[in-house]
Amino acid sequence: MNAIILSALLGVVMMFASVFTENKIAIRNIAIFGLLILLASNLLNIYTPYSFNVDLHNMLRFDSFGLFFNSIAIVSTLLYVILSGSDIVKVGNYPAEYFALIFFVLCGVTILSSYNSLLMLFLGVEIMSIPLYILTGSDKKNLKSNEASLKYFLMGAFSTGIMLMGIALLYGASGNFNLEMIREKTSIAEFGILAPLGLLLIFISLAFKVSAAPFHFWTPDVYDGAPSVFTSFMATIVKTAGFIAFVKLFSLRMADLGPSYAIILPVIIIATLLVGNITAVFQQSVKRMLAYSSIAQAGFMLFALYTSNDLSTEGILLYAAAYSIATIGIFGILIKMKDYTFDGYNGLAKKQPLVAATNTVFLLSLAGIPLTAGFFAKYYMLASALKSNGSALWLVIVAVLFAAVSVYYYFRVIQAMYFKDGDAETTEIDGTFKFVLVVLALLIILIGINPSILLRWYYF
Amino acid sequence: MSAIQIIFWFLSALAIVSALMVLISKNPVHSVLWLIMVFFAISGHYILLNAQFLAIVNLIVYAGAIMVLFLFVIMLMNLNNESEPQKNVWMRLAGAVSGGCLLMILVSLVRQAIEINNKVAEMKVGDIGLIGNLGKALFKDYLVPFEISSVLFLSAMVGAIVIGKKN
Amino acid sequence: MPIQYYIILSLALFCIGIVGVLVRRNVIIVFMCIELMLNAVNLLLVAFSKMHHGIAYLTDKTTTTGSDAQLFVFFIMVVAAAEVSVGLAIIVMMYRNTHSVDVNFLNRLKN
Repeated sequence: MNAIILSALLGVVMMFASVFTENKIAIRNIAIFGLLILLASNLLNIYTPYSFNVDLHNMLRFDSFGLFFNSIAIVSTLLYVILSGSDIVKVGNYPAEYFALIFFVLCGVTILSSYNSLLMLFLGVEIMSIPLYILTGSDKKNLKSNEASLKYFLMGAFSTGIMLMGIALLYGASGNFNLEMIREKTSIAEFGILAPLGLLLIFISLAFKVSAAPFHFWTPDVYDGAPSVFTSFMATIVKTAGFIAFVKLFSLRMADLGPSYAIILPVIIIATLLVGNITAVFQQSVKRMLAYSSIAQAGFMLFALYTSNDLSTEGILLYAAAYSIATIGIFGILIKMKDYTFDGYNGLAKKQPLVAATNTVFLLSLAGIPLTAGFFAKYYMLASALKSNGSALWLVIVAVLFAAVSVYYYFRVIQAMYFKDGDAETTEIDGTFKFVLVVLALLIILIGINPSILLRWYYF
Repeated sequence: MSAIQIIFWFLSALAIVSALMVLISKNPVHSVLWLIMVFFAISGHYILLNAQFLAIVNLIVYAGAIMVLFLFVIMLMNLNNESEPQKNVWMRLAGAVSGGCLLMILVSLVRQAIEINNKVAEMKVGDIGLIGNLGKALFKDYLVPFEISSVLFLSAMVGAIVIGKKN
Repeated sequence: MPIQYYIILSLALFCIGIVGVLVRRNVIIVFMCIELMLNAVNLLLVAFSKMHHGIAYLTDKTTTTGSDAQLFVFFIMVVAAAEVSVGLAIIVMMYRNTHSVDVNFLNRLKN
């Protein structure tokens, strides 16, 4: 509860910050300070549950899973703001408002990690999405940004409509919005057809939100058109929050969709991996490649829906952390590049050896090379599928093959940085930026050597 | 056929015909007006179902505020028949056919649903749709979502200003 | 009225909305069709609320079963209002730059 209330309040604080100061650095520092308070209050929430004694009427439920994810999301945002904060304030004329919107998105994220009623799921998704439409279109003079914003908005509103129809049908079948009550009412053998139909519609709309194929088509355009700083935010924190909402709703309920679920989900996983990986191979722009690679990574995260056991809950949290940290780093460097194509990275290793080295770590982590966090994230996901169901072996093999494909396009960036001659032009890179990059890279290697460093906190 | 049934069928027909007219009209202003007709028909349904509060809110919020906003934007842009872009016939046909198929599938699924056989939406029983009862529920059980939706409004407000203001 | 009638009516409105999103090129009309979809959902929720209320009423005359769905409708209206304000702002912003409300403009992003 702390995180929800405080993030909303901090959003208001950021709005007022623009009244009192025009100084962009000061605004960024206020945001960083706010995020630190938010993190502290969320940690406090884990140990003392009643900082705010609110009668929730079972609308929200705070468990260690949600609170731990909140911590991951807040830490990722913190690192993101420290790394790219100076670029956020450059996007347009309203730096403080952008931070306010980021806090509102975080409010939506924290609702999604703890909802216990379909009403809160709906509100959380909307609170998360509406500020994002704005952030996508914040580069107002840029036509690409405008169009990305409009496309994102239309897709988002459309998928909301579908989700609401699903919720209505589910209500018709169960007479309740509370997740536990729905579970109780519809888990009897003859629950008819309304509940599975409603669940299917909700599934489709959430698949839209996390850009799983075949509902991914908006993703590359929107990620490509949005200002790079905000793409970084959208592709990491928001996307993983979508997955957390997805897992919370579906991990225990897949039997309710009937035997068809056992067919639908593998098909969606393979389609997502296929579309993401194969299309990413043919991209010329690194930003667009990252958009497709985020679809491919979503394919791996979908494994968390395939099964429901300890490994998959740990796996999705680990994946959220590993993927967010690495992607934030890569985007942080991408923003500093003047040319977003692969050729733009030529010879970066000579000019900026440290930046190139950390970028390599991030890319290796996304590819899932051992000794990086990405390896264990992928390992947990695949192992959870195998553990629950031996017949999932073929699915795991397909996933590993696609992971091998992904190595190709990640290595193209590394190859450009180290083995090609060129003059990689960057904007000014200061000491703080390099320092944060090193911290991110160290985090990835630490988690990659011993993932229990992170997961220990989950059971704490 | 009782009076209620006659009103039900009339309102349903009105809603569907007006919804189709929203699609078919070439002039955006006409589309808006037809959509307002849909909202009136749906409000009529709410009154039939004894949900008076929602009927009034539907008129005030949707027909009153939201559609006026739409109308305002359309007038601001000075859209009319001539400026209306058209998709080619095949695309439109494909859209209509796929929508029709979707409706067929959904309806046939619902007709098979045994759990709602012989169930009726009661029209004369109960007064949950009255403002007093809904208000009590809203400010007791639904206080948390009510407060949280204020965040939504705040972000929409900030967003509309960030996006809408001219530099 | 049998609940099936309401389900079929609102599914029909919902599908008309989906068809509108697919076939129209004017962004504002597309957006209006999305509003139509939301209204179909609202109607369905109210009908279901009265259905569940009717069932509970048989055993308990003071029951408030069903009021949750009507409040959900209320929240959908709240969200729709917020969404419309943002959506129209985005549409106006795009209109300022392109002087068009044609969805096909969106295809230029592809390359």
